[in-house]
Amino acid sequence: MRRYLTAGVVLAMAGGLLVGCGGGDAGGSSNEINLIMSNHPWQRAIEPLIPEFERESGITVKVQTFAEQQMRDKVQLNLQSRSSAMDVFMALPSREGPQFAKANYYEPLDSYVSGAADYDAEDFPEAVRAGMVVDGKQVAAPINVEAVVLYYRKDLFQEYGLTPPTTLDELTSTAAAIKDRSGGQVTPIALRGQSAALPFTFGPFLHSRGVAWTKEDGVTPNFDDPRAVEAIDQYATLAREYGPDGVVNNTFTQSSALMAAGNAAMMLESSNEVSSIADPKTSKVADNLGVVAFPAGAAGSRTTILSWGLAISSFSQKKDAAWKFVEWATSAQTQQKLTESGIAPPRTSVAGSEAYTASLDTDLLTEWNEVLTSAQTTGSTEVGPVGVAAPEMRKIIGDAVGLVILDRASPAEAATQIQDGLAPQLAKNEG
Amino acid sequence: MVTTTPSAVSRSAQPERGAPTPPQRRRRRRVDPTARGILPFVLPALLATAALVLVPIVYTLWLSVSDRQPDGTNAGLLGLGNYREMFANPEFWNALRVTIFLFVVCLVVETVLGLVLGYVMSLDVPGRRIFQGMMLIPAITASVAVGLLWLLIMDPTLGAANQILGAVGIDPVVWLGDPDIAPWSIALVDIWQWTPFMALIISAGIRALPEEPFEAAAIDGASPWRTAWNIGLPLLRPVLTVAILLRTVDLVRFFDTIYIMTQGGPVDATNTLNVYGYRAAFIDQAPSYAAALQITLLVLVIGIAGLFTWLRGREAK
Repeated sequence: MRRYLTAGVVLAMAGGLLVGCGGGDAGGSSNEINLIMSNHPWQRAIEPLIPEFERESGITVKVQTFAEQQMRDKVQLNLQSRSSAMDVFMALPSREGPQFAKANYYEPLDSYVSGAADYDAEDFPEAVRAGMVVDGKQVAAPINVEAVVLYYRKDLFQEYGLTPPTTLDELTSTAAAIKDRSGGQVTPIALRGQSAALPFTFGPFLHSRGVAWTKEDGVTPNFDDPRAVEAIDQYATLAREYGPDGVVNNTFTQSSALMAAGNAAMMLESSNEVSSIADPKTSKVADNLGVVAFPAGAAGSRTTILSWGLAISSFSQKKDAAWKFVEWATSAQTQQKLTESGIAPPRTSVAGSEAYTASLDTDLLTEWNEVLTSAQTTGSTEVGPVGVAAPEMRKIIGDAVGLVILDRASPAEAATQIQDGLAPQLAKNEG
Repeated sequence: MVTTTPSAVSRSAQPERGAPTPPQRRRRRRVDPTARGILPFVLPALLATAALVLVPIVYTLWLSVSDRQPDGTNAGLLGLGNYREMFANPEFWNALRVTIFLFVVCLVVETVLGLVLGYVMSLDVPGRRIFQGMMLIPAITASVAVGLLWLLIMDPTLGAANQILGAVGIDPVVWLGDPDIAPWSIALVDIWQWTPFMALIISAGIRALPEEPFEAAAIDGASPWRTAWNIGLPLLRPVLTVAILLRTVDLVRFFDTIYIMTQGGPVDATNTLNVYGYRAAFIDQAPSYAAALQITLLVLVIGIAGLFTWLRGREAK
């Protein structure tokens, strides 16, 4: 008798353990979805609107927000463990698209989009839509557009008698002039140096010279091209000679902090950052900012543009409710409201609407809108080499350029290192 | 002098060991782990341990010799392929070098500073308790918060560290942006966070020491240095070994502050084995390769901890 009792207790405890393991997966009632977002201007703009959606649809949205890298970790953790505890997440198809698609992480949205009568998917520009498609399937719905732009301090440029650079050569000479005329008191240009983040702002130096990341075949890297060596040389020189101290550890957070504190004269960053440096509450220089398009090289001004998207996890058990949220969040109506918080609308109908253009009430925002609009036709959507190993490939490029910034390798050596490092990673695309 | 102490200790211990009293013998028989009666009581704990410790280890071991895909399928047994790839990869050797560097630097400095600070804290001075409480703050603060705090302090342009250095006329230091300096900066943060913890353990140890050997040494006219070196340290050794062991295990699997402050950069200068393994699993999506790295890390931790335990056991004899 006692033995049975013991066995029963043990079984109950083991059962308790197993239930404990599975508990996280069940995730609330059928009318509740879990949304994971990155700390991002879009997230800050959409969160206050979510109660509106909840009232209309009767669906409860549980929101979790993390810093960008932590969000990626959280999303990956959910996907790798095939958990249904996450229904919708902010996705960067330009970065992880092929990697996630190969692992079947995305729920394809094509049938949802075609089944939604009032959605009007054609309203998104061709380039934005193409950025959301992997292997012929739409993996996410676009929520914003951003591009690499050049911010500058109007007051300092006036003081030094300078005009904003329009060509790549002028970019370096302007930086040199600022260093010279400020007596080294002002950082001429804030830009990215952290290896994983660098390709986004380095890409325009390559593309504006007429070089793509890879050759036509998509599997041979293009870093044996002398123009790629020039691009590395220029980027590293800007960072080393005219960039802030410790630039190899910097990404948009550090750059924007420097700009907002009034320590930098120019900043090469995403158009998104306008919300953090033009806010008088957090920025000392909000009234003295200007923005221009990325300086032109031999092939014109070819910046990097990208869109974040909303994706549905293929392991979600509430895909219909999840789609309802995605549909609402990317509808023309919602995007119109988001523009009030400074989110550049991907939809043509919203970008061209009177309400939107009227809301661009400062010189900075007008300039910013012009730059961003033209970037959408001239920019490249390839933030880094495209492939299943995209994050690894970006690190290879970032590390090699970082060594040149630190003066530990020549631009030619870095180019060879990238060429050799990328080849096996690109080969994975064919497997 | 030195020889008197151990013999005195053993003499006092001998009667107990030599002639076990009847109640002791009965107790020993009762706790015999092979006895059937005890099993039901131990089994739940055993099962819980197995589920929470053994199962993950065995599963990781299996992952490390197979080819798990990011979509959750497993392409089957690979043998030692992941390990071969790892040993052929210079990134692994760099990560091992960084891990050992941080382990040695942090452990040596924390132990030496911990001894000095622990001695100061063992003295009966007014306000000792308040000071002790304050010293614990870094150790009980979450490492993520510590990392974020130091990230702000070490910002090259806007951070407090360089502003303080600048005020006394020292050139700014690129704390985290230079591959030669970044590992030392990370070590500095760890030392700041964990030296007080070492000091607390050591000061408790010092206060528990018997006073007689020190009195005897004073009567024999031994210098304070000689007393500390020949009597204090040997008597403190058991406490010291435990403190060192605790820090060792933490340092070999160093992760949190590094991941917050540098993500292993710049150019892999602070990429410890654990950060590298994490990157492999969650950024590069190579779970099996990451499993091989983690198993290697586990072997390393067990190896170093085992070495300390063995040394300790040998000294005890």
